[in-house]
Amino acid sequence: MIQMFVQSAWLIPLYPLLGMLLSIFWFPAITHATGPRPSGYLNVVMTLLAFTHGLLALIGLNNGQAPIEFSLPWLQVAGLDLSIPIEISSLTVGAIVVVTMLNLLAQVFAIGYLEMDWGWARFYSLLALFEAGMCALVLCDSLFFAYVVLEILTLATYLIIGIWFNQPLVVTGARDAFLTKRVGDLFLLMGVLAIYPLAGTWNFDELATWAQTAEVDPTLMSLVGLALIAGPMGKCAQFPLHLWLDEAMEGPIPASILRNSVVVATGAWVLIKLEPVLALSPFTLNACIFIGAVTALGGTLIAIAQIDLKRCLSYLVSAYLGVVFIAVGVQQVEAAFLMTLSHAFSMALLVMAIGCIIWNCITQDIRQYGGLWARRPITGIAFLVGTAGLIALPPFGGFWAMLDLGDELISTRPMLLGLLLVVNALAAFSLMRVFSLVWGNQPKPMTARSPEVFWPMTLPTVIMVGFVLHLPLILQAIGLLPDWATINKDVALLFIWSTIFGLSIGGVVFLGSYIKKPVEFPIKAVQDLLAYDFYTPKLYRSTIVLFVGILSTITAFFDRFLVDGIVNLFGTVTVFSGQSLRYSTSGQAQFYVLTILLGITFLALLVSWPLISHLSLVTS
Amino acid sequence: MQLQYFLLLAAALFCIGIYGLVTSRNAIRVLMSIELLLNAVNLNLMAFSNFLDPAEVRGQVFTVFVITIAAAEAAVGLAIVLSIYRNRDTVDMEQFNLLKW
Repeated sequence: MIQMFVQSAWLIPLYPLLGMLLSIFWFPAITHATGPRPSGYLNVVMTLLAFTHGLLALIGLNNGQAPIEFSLPWLQVAGLDLSIPIEISSLTVGAIVVVTMLNLLAQVFAIGYLEMDWGWARFYSLLALFEAGMCALVLCDSLFFAYVVLEILTLATYLIIGIWFNQPLVVTGARDAFLTKRVGDLFLLMGVLAIYPLAGTWNFDELATWAQTAEVDPTLMSLVGLALIAGPMGKCAQFPLHLWLDEAMEGPIPASILRNSVVVATGAWVLIKLEPVLALSPFTLNACIFIGAVTALGGTLIAIAQIDLKRCLSYLVSAYLGVVFIAVGVQQVEAAFLMTLSHAFSMALLVMAIGCIIWNCITQDIRQYGGLWARRPITGIAFLVGTAGLIALPPFGGFWAMLDLGDELISTRPMLLGLLLVVNALAAFSLMRVFSLVWGNQPKPMTARSPEVFWPMTLPTVIMVGFVLHLPLILQAIGLLPDWATINKDVALLFIWSTIFGLSIGGVVFLGSYIKKPVEFPIKAVQDLLAYDFYTPKLYRSTIVLFVGILSTITAFFDRFLVDGIVNLFGTVTVFSGQSLRYSTSGQAQFYVLTILLGITFLALLVSWPLISHLSLVTS
Repeated sequence: MQLQYFLLLAAALFCIGIYGLVTSRNAIRVLMSIELLLNAVNLNLMAFSNFLDPAEVRGQVFTVFVITIAAAEAAVGLAIVLSIYRNRDTVDMEQFNLLKW
């Protein structure tokens, strides 16, 4: 029985896909009378089915059922066999369980959050598309099909951010999200195409095997490696392709739950899977570390300076995926997976807590919040638990990932460990700031009357709290936690101290009354620089956008005036010559006579030229 | 007396005729210039007949025909000028430019 579930685990992406297709019937244009709610319920049921199936398969795999690998034929053309390799192992099914579970919770959350919205069918069908895409991504064990899925998800991101498309900021945000991720994906495509002649395969396992013995030109491999990390760079909102995640916060919160926790992690998944290939080129690994380090530091710093509740979290997403990049850069695959997992859980919880707050406090401006702790204890606890799960606070999930990474770094790259400590402290500070400003202090007009939200939003939040709290136990049960005896206690202490440092400073600054609120940094320019995300929109607009804009203007000009102009010139010249040559028909009969005579004279000269040329006026 | 002097004279007359033909503003004078041309031709014919064909004088016969035709042409020409004059009240050639572009 269980074996059947394992063997049919590749069907899991089809449940949400079916839900997506069936949602169509509740589009307002199709079902006029009854409203769109059934589409949401249907998708929740489909996700529940997928989750149950995944869970049963995972139980089967853990009970000793062997992992299954097979391939579905997709396309065979001359010299190219594009079969879809499917890998059903405890890792992939585990990822599916995480994805479907987070989807289930986000969809239940959305039942509450989208209470007063008519766009359920569109919203839920897109959530289902995400779910299906992510399940398919983790199942298919091929770089090529991972790319295919990533592109579909890029389109889905465009559509789901643009769900309330009557808002102008949504439209620009969706545009930026699509184009930024698209650029990364196109670089990834270059890498995908370039690696095939080298390795002769797109299968992740075979790529890993190939990479062990490969002898490739280092420059070539660096370029391919850079192209391969460019895709995840865009997907994971890494510097400098990070602006889209900020603008993607214009979309609805249930979608943000998914995006912040799992969708951005799809890039990390591909990156982690590609680690053996990237390891061929030290340059690529260093680039990976550099990008991750810059994003982690920049993301946490920017998050501190935000006043928008959702954006306070979106930059932390970039930062923590930057840590995943660092982990991949130092070839700590296990730490990377652990970080992705704990980040997904904690970030989902944080965004849920934030969503519960925003839903009935309306504003997202953190400066208008305050004093919610007494009246919103569940949401506050959820936020605190999410914080604990994200930063390096033992015994929660994020700590073990950081510790795993720190263990490696202390001996090889102590500078990077220092950076991680700083990032951790900054993230702790930033989350403490959000907590203090929202739940601490005195109520403000916007939060004066703020009841706790109703059950469809509270329930997934509380369940998520349970998951985050149990994550260490789960990790211990599947043997991912290191033995206490082998832990480098110095590193652990360093992380704990950096966490305590960040949290306490945040608490003192924003809960205490020693510092005047709103807090002003001594140097105003730096505060503005961070608050405006290093002026990234201006940076884009003055470099790439400007360049492409000018280039397209020139091209359009060239096309309109030069290419079209040359052809039009022939016509114009012909018309003009006709217009002007007609004046030779002067209407004067005498002029015609003169023309005739000139013609005759000319012809006569021409005919008799041989004779005339020998004529000599002087006779000798 | 040589042939070429006659030919040169005829050519000069022809050229004067041409000049008169394309520059005259009076339609009658255009007809007169045409007569000059025809007379230049006649001179040529007569000279050739005299110097090259004294026995059979075919040139003189041609000349007679040319004079005859020239008379008829002048008659028709004058008739045309008259009919234009009746309509347009002028014989100025520069007023007859209706059929232009």
